[in-house]
Amino acid sequence: MLTALWKKAEIVPEDVAEPDISVLGRALKIRGKLDTLGEVHIFGHVVGRINVGRMVLGVGGYVEGDIVAKEVLLCGRFEGRIFAFNVTIAPSAVLKGRVFHHTITVAREAQIEGRMPWRPINFFETLGELPKEI
Amino acid sequence: MFSRDKATDAPATAPVKEVELPARPQEQAAATPIQARPMDHGTSAKTRPASEPSRISSALKVTGQLESEEDIQIDGHIEGDIKARKVVIGAGATVKGTVSGDEVEVSGTVTGKIEAASVTLSKSARMSGDVVHKALQIEKGAYIDGHCRPQGQNEGAGSIPIGKKQSMQ
Repeated sequence: MLTALWKKAEIVPEDVAEPDISVLGRALKIRGKLDTLGEVHIFGHVVGRINVGRMVLGVGGYVEGDIVAKEVLLCGRFEGRIFAFNVTIAPSAVLKGRVFHHTITVAREAQIEGRMPWRPINFFETLGELPKEI
Repeated sequence: MFSRDKATDAPATAPVKEVELPARPQEQAAATPIQARPMDHGTSAKTRPASEPSRISSALKVTGQLESEEDIQIDGHIEGDIKARKVVIGAGATVKGTVSGDEVEVSGTVTGKIEAASVTLSKSARMSGDVVHKALQIEKGAYIDGHCRPQGQNEGAGSIPIGKKQSMQ
């Protein structure tokens, strides 16, 4: 299951503009719920619930709320809870809250306030909101 | 001589370490690719220009309010209000709610209301609801069910609040 996830991550090249990637620009503010099995890059401001396949919170982005995802990359500010199989926290990230994860990478200099509980794979499978097609 | 000295210097625990060591690189070999890849993504994500235009892709569904001082391209599904400088609603996109801005271009489906200085409905557009505009352009083939009235006129004069009825918040 893990390997399948990684293979998928490999296939998607970062530099090529993927048509299925949603980008929320710096000036965009969203209050509500985001739902997709695809990828979302957030550079703006989101308050609410996010259910995605892969999420990138870019530098300068801010998210407040709950995130359910397969993969999360944090470079911006986040407040709330993350339920993600695989979490990466970059040096520029500022995080407050809880990160439920299966695998996590935290870069040096990231600011973290809160807990990062590990959960087995089946925890994410039974989350309901998590995309089933891992 | 040298090698013997070293052998005697080394404590008895050395062989035990050696037994442990082969196991470790294997563990790391399995762990590092998992950790390394997201970090690569991290650097490339940071180098992306932060001023990238907003784009809601076809796979994304947003329930709630969207507000931006810049342009938004919508190809996904929105239930809620959109406010931006320029809103482009692509073919295949659906919006339930009020769309407002300086410029609104519709090729998809809008159920609700459009309020903008410049409104363009292309041939694939499907608009159910009122259009409040300064300049309106409707291409042949566009579907429109609702009132079109210029900005500044009396609000609510015969308008049907379809957006309020159908938007699910």
